[in-house]
Amino acid sequence: MKRTLLSLTTLLLAGAACAETINVGAITSLTGRFATFGKMQKAGFQVAIDEINAAGGVGGNKLALLLVDDASDTNKALSAAEKLLNQKVPLIIGSYSSGITKPLSQYMARQKVPLLVATAVDETITKPGNAYTFRVNNQSSVYSRSLLDLFKRMNDTKAGTIKTVAVLTSNDAFGKSVYTDVTTLFTKAGYQVVSKDTYDQGLTDFRPILNRYKALNPDAVLLASYEQDAVAVAKQVKEVGLAPKVIAGIATGFALPNFLDGAGSAADNMLVAMVWNPDVIYPGAQNLYARLKKALGGEEPSQHAAQSYAAMLAAAAAIKQGGSDPEKVREALTKISINTAFGPVKFRNYGGYQNQNAVVGLITQVQGGKFVTVAPATAAKGKLVMPKK
Amino acid sequence: MDPNTLALFQTLAQGLLTGGIYALIGTGLSLIFGVMRVINFAHGDFLAVGMFIALFLFQRFHLDPYLSLLIAAPLGFGLGYLVQRFLLARLGDRLESSSLLATLGLGLILSNGLLLGFGAQPQSINVAYATQTFKLGGVQISLPLLVAGLGTLLAIGLLNLFLYRTELGRAVRATAQNPLGAELQGVNTTWVQAVVFGLGVAFAVVAGVLLLPLLYAFPTVGENYTLKAFVVTVLGGLGNLPGAIVGGLILGIIESLGAYYLSNNYRDAYGLVVFLAVLLLRPEGLFGRTVKRV
Repeated sequence: MKRTLLSLTTLLLAGAACAETINVGAITSLTGRFATFGKMQKAGFQVAIDEINAAGGVGGNKLALLLVDDASDTNKALSAAEKLLNQKVPLIIGSYSSGITKPLSQYMARQKVPLLVATAVDETITKPGNAYTFRVNNQSSVYSRSLLDLFKRMNDTKAGTIKTVAVLTSNDAFGKSVYTDVTTLFTKAGYQVVSKDTYDQGLTDFRPILNRYKALNPDAVLLASYEQDAVAVAKQVKEVGLAPKVIAGIATGFALPNFLDGAGSAADNMLVAMVWNPDVIYPGAQNLYARLKKALGGEEPSQHAAQSYAAMLAAAAAIKQGGSDPEKVREALTKISINTAFGPVKFRNYGGYQNQNAVVGLITQVQGGKFVTVAPATAAKGKLVMPKK
Repeated sequence: MDPNTLALFQTLAQGLLTGGIYALIGTGLSLIFGVMRVINFAHGDFLAVGMFIALFLFQRFHLDPYLSLLIAAPLGFGLGYLVQRFLLARLGDRLESSSLLATLGLGLILSNGLLLGFGAQPQSINVAYATQTFKLGGVQISLPLLVAGLGTLLAIGLLNLFLYRTELGRAVRATAQNPLGAELQGVNTTWVQAVVFGLGVAFAVVAGVLLLPLLYAFPTVGENYTLKAFVVTVLGGLGNLPGAIVGGLILGIIESLGAYYLSNNYRDAYGLVVFLAVLLLRPEGLFGRTVKRV
């Protein structure tokens, strides 16, 4: 409560054009179907702002967070951006989902103000991207690539032979991006994709399609879903008796602590691809985890909170050099290179991507009701457990 | 049995049980329509209320969702009774659409009330049997899904006994056939209508409670089910109870088979295509006679 009051006061001060605060604009989904993710983002932003201000702010000026809710709606996100631009913010961080962030990035490019993307993974946001869009988090193919690395290792060490995969994703920007990654990358790597399917978000009955997978009997089943779907699909995988060697969820809904609670024992031994877990090797990760948890009122933080934290630090670093001029901030963003508890942040152009931070993908496994990093070998904190047949 | 046949049987069995839940929801809607000629657009939202009652009781008192039926069903009945008695009955017959709009508004109030009280995030409960299954000749069936199917059977059986074996049931049927005539015969139709609305809402609430171990609760979860209930009811013939049951089963099976054999993407479309076909070819519903009510 005290914190809310404090940030409210800073907001008021900021509104009064106080010379000693710099506003950072942010948009996320605090209500609507992405509300849980929005809550994570808000905590990440706030922890970063508190850290920066406690260390003396940016060039002696305090940072203030201007956070606007887009209600999980694209049009509301665009009007939120307009509102923030009217308040002369030097940049905006946002939004949560790919479907909202892609049009937002195009709007921001037309307005010539930088957009920092913290969570949305759709490949096309930075490929080809534009000069004003900078992505702190990974692109979606990172998840597929880290799964491919793990499968290769499993095949090489005979830990379990993976040859065939089935993929089921939600039918939206994020899901489609994963769908394309899997169907192209896995096929290219010599795997046989025996079934590829999509579903409308909010589907409650995955049984028919999972029955079909059961008959096809693939070695691995890959899933990409938002929050509630992730719980439903994981429960129903167990219910229909689908038991492939590997069931992997691609971040998003599966990477939420909520998922562990909701799916319970159905989540046991599931693989979840993500890019940040409290057990990562980056210095300060444990400390960040504790602070995020505190900001969330004791709730377990997800990678989305850490990604948002890193985005806010990147914003502060750019504002430090560029001041309040969007064009100068954009130039500063192309040059920054910082190390955070989320991992290093440096925007580069490579492999067709523009202003894309290179993030190391992790594969975690649900063990004892927790995500334990099991791959890559350099970051692993636990051993991969194969399902008992 | 080869895996394909087995998967098909499993899909059919699950489709049938899912259809059973649709039937339970559709029966409540159909009952209300049959007696009062009111399409209850808040039906799905009452289902959501049921889910949240069970969720609340589980989170606060660790009450098993199936036990919470004992609390949720009477609560649902009371809620429905009050709504009919003090809201819908007072609208009178001035406008056909007034009761329709009233239930629509009521639905909005309910879902937003849930949003206010419980937040927007989907919540699920984790009971030991949530993912429990048993095998029947190689076909694997979820325990909570079977309980939901059996619960439907029980609820509909009880409703049948009530309608055809009790004095009040007779009054309900009389009110459905001709409210004025029933009134002249000394039936307190205002009271009967309130009881019927209470029963209809109790059915939706029971369906919500039965769904909770299988799904997750969020304030707008009902929207989809209002639509499903409507399709089920029209499939079978509005106000026709056996029709609603068969309609529910048909919808469940069509959706499952469509998703299994064709694309999963058009799942909702399969049911709606059949719905349109029925409207075109048999506007009175598959089992409806144009004048039959309840």
